[in-house]
Amino acid sequence: MKITTETNGPDAFVQVEGRIDTTNYNEFENAVNDVLNGSVKQMYLDCSGLNYISSSGLRIFLALQKKMMTTGGKLKLFAMQPSIREIFDISGFSSIFAIFPDKATALQA
Amino acid sequence: MEETQKNKTLVIRNDISELNRLVAFLEKLEEEWDLPPSVIPPVNLALEEALSNVIFYAFEKDTEHEIRLNFERRGTAMVVVVTDDGKPYDPTQKEDPNLHLSVEERPIGGLGIFLIRQVMNEVAYNRVGNKNQLTMVKTWNT
Repeated sequence: MKITTETNGPDAFVQVEGRIDTTNYNEFENAVNDVLNGSVKQMYLDCSGLNYISSSGLRIFLALQKKMMTTGGKLKLFAMQPSIREIFDISGFSSIFAIFPDKATALQA
Repeated sequence: MEETQKNKTLVIRNDISELNRLVAFLEKLEEEWDLPPSVIPPVNLALEEALSNVIFYAFEKDTEHEIRLNFERRGTAMVVVVTDDGKPYDPTQKEDPNLHLSVEERPIGGLGIFLIRQVMNEVAYNRVGNKNQLTMVKTWNT
């Protein structure tokens, strides 16, 4: 798994590539938590390189969404691979996350 | 059309890092058995969820156990059997999570076993002697 993060004032950009599973979900959790300082209002998560996720990874996404909502922030996921989108659909996650086809639409929303 | 039948076994330790070995094994299996791309990803996910449960909950702390995974291809079906000698536990009895709860209401856990049932075509549990046996089947069209 490869994670790249970038913060620009109230906007945080996170790109995750590879797998998030029970052996490495902590890494993902730490990376997104590190990015969330007091002034981040929007987090944009580039999922184009994410090719596998299990319940451990889904849990981190959910925890992140809960956290963003309690602080009045917005979490936006974009460019999800179809197989990952399917997992989000199956778990009912697609209705509780803001999911966009690409970065441009995520930024505009 | 001939019936292709193949059989392979992987034995892992009750250590979560063994999941990495499983991933490599499955990649090789996909190649060797010339499986369509729709087979291994759900099998991988179902196995990860099933094995995580076994590794975290089936055994006494700090004990070493073997978990046996048997893979069989029967034509256009992949049958996976997971056998462990841990505490009796039937994952098929677990209730489905409520998928319609809002973000605030959704509990953090409870998805693993549900996902197994969603991505595999058949899931069955048996207690055989002192062993848990979980059988999962993934089928495809050709």
